[in-house]
Amino acid sequence: MTYLQELFASRELLSNLVMREVKGKYRRTFFGQVWSLINPLATMLIYTIVFSLIFKARIEVGHPSGLNIYPVWLMCGLLPWLFFTRVVNHGLSSITSNASLVKKVYFPRMNLPFAVTGSTGYTWLIEMGLLSFIILLCGGMVLPWLPLILVFMVLLALFATGIAMALAIFTVHFRDTSHFMSIALQMWMYLTPIVYPLSLVKDAAVTHGQWIYNLFRLNPMEHFVNVFRYLMYDNTWPDIYDVLWCIGWAVLSFVLGFIIFRRGEKRLVVLL
Amino acid sequence: MSNEPAVVVDDVALKFRLYSERNDSLKAAFMRRRKARYEDFWALNGISFEVPTGSTFGLVGRNGSGKSTLLKVLSRILYPDRGSITARGTVASLLEVGSGFHPELTGRENIYLNGSILGMSKKEVTRRFDEIVDFSGVRKFIDQPVKNYSSGMYVRLGFSVAINVDPDVLIVDEVLAVGDAAFKAKCANKFQELKNQGKTIVLVTHSMGTLEEMCDQAAWIDQGKLVTIGDAATVISDYEAAIASEA
Ligand SMILES: Nc1ncnc2c1ncn2[C@@H]1O[C@H](COP(=O)(O)OP(=O)(O)OP(=O)(O)O)[C@@H](O)[C@H]1O
Ligand SMILES: [Mg+2]
Repeated sequence: MTYLQELFASRELLSNLVMREVKGKYRRTFFGQVWSLINPLATMLIYTIVFSLIFKARIEVGHPSGLNIYPVWLMCGLLPWLFFTRVVNHGLSSITSNASLVKKVYFPRMNLPFAVTGSTGYTWLIEMGLLSFIILLCGGMVLPWLPLILVFMVLLALFATGIAMALAIFTVHFRDTSHFMSIALQMWMYLTPIVYPLSLVKDAAVTHGQWIYNLFRLNPMEHFVNVFRYLMYDNTWPDIYDVLWCIGWAVLSFVLGFIIFRRGEKRLVVLL
Repeated sequence: MSNEPAVVVDDVALKFRLYSERNDSLKAAFMRRRKARYEDFWALNGISFEVPTGSTFGLVGRNGSGKSTLLKVLSRILYPDRGSITARGTVASLLEVGSGFHPELTGRENIYLNGSILGMSKKEVTRRFDEIVDFSGVRKFIDQPVKNYSSGMYVRLGFSVAINVDPDVLIVDEVLAVGDAAFKAKCANKFQELKNQGKTIVLVTHSMGTLEEMCDQAAWIDQGKLVTIGDAATVISDYEAAIASEA
């Protein structure tokens, strides 16, 4: 059997591993699955108070949706970002935290980072569904865009999984990778226009030089956030430039992550 | 049945790095720029043998001689640095049972989870579900989370799943020693049954009784090398003579 055939043949294992994460995590906690929603809600509340009420971050009115609600605008960018960080943070430790399993049984190892993406994606899907519902209540016409939103959710999942796979191998060699990454991801978040609009960066570029803006746009997550805002907040077609970058980054990240993982997985057990 | 061997082990060698100083953190690797220092240790050093289809093959040797390492190579958990392993048909291994159980999930859910880790489809698990539960003897607690199981129950359930995988080649590492006397007897019966079905079994044991009773052929491994290979009785007498002369 080739590597890909074997991976495909283990899809039932993947779905079981995803179930293990989803069911095991919130089983027998008082609110169950509700817990997973409280976290982003709390984050939303904090950022809304700090950035909208205190710093008075001005956002653009959604066009053509006409929406002008900071928390909704925020969540359109924040939910994809939170998904991304959760996949990277948990995915990178997916091998080390399952060391006892990896050392005792053979199965296609890629299922471990994939299962993190699957279970995190499940939570994200619920969050995005709820957000879409809220946007509808606020008068946004998000329904026709749902299929396209799903497509970009898959692309972001590929992008995040690629990074997680590469870092999972890296973590086996250097155990403190997760400390390093949590700092890096925090900085990355503030370099991405999630709590503030890109127009602020544009303004800064006018006074300080165009290079700031150009540099900003190299950030893959910036393009993903833009696309989700176009689709969910503005309810319009995303910028083709953003779309192409998203596809390019997703493919590049996943392919590289796949290759790195495949090369590294044979030596995993000796190092665990 | 064909006479082709079920497993061919050809000149397998595997080394571990014994680090006296390992750079296993970014801090050590990049900030202090220390060089990692290690020594190569060959846990397996050129082992070759064949296991005929339908036979039971035993591995003996003192602690640390490389038996478990060899089984891990056979199970594709470790990759050899040299040589190759060819197995015909599906291979399943029983190296440690119950790994992969999730404590918050029920016994039932864990049977499905563990079954798929071991390569069974959902249909197969469903078909064998009653057999698995009966064998484990924990039916009363099957819908309880396994964190409430006693350690013996935990092992029994894990073992029952693994033994019901139904592979062509079964690899077993000393797990016969688990459970109470009744369960041990049950396991011995199960192995006999598998043997009668024509399954190939490779097992490691420290018990000469088990070896004599169950194995057609055996190999004695010492310091990663084959010492004696042949029918079980010869290997046992060689091995026991060596131990006696040492003591
Ligand atoms: N991950 C590892 N890193 C370094 N050395 C290892 C590793 N795993 C095993 N070894 C070494 O390889 C040798 C063989 O170990 P192995 O577990 O195969 O022994 P064994 O024959 O199964 O012994 P026992 O009868 O005690 O189970 C031992 O010296 C052990 O220290
Ligand atoms: Mg051993």
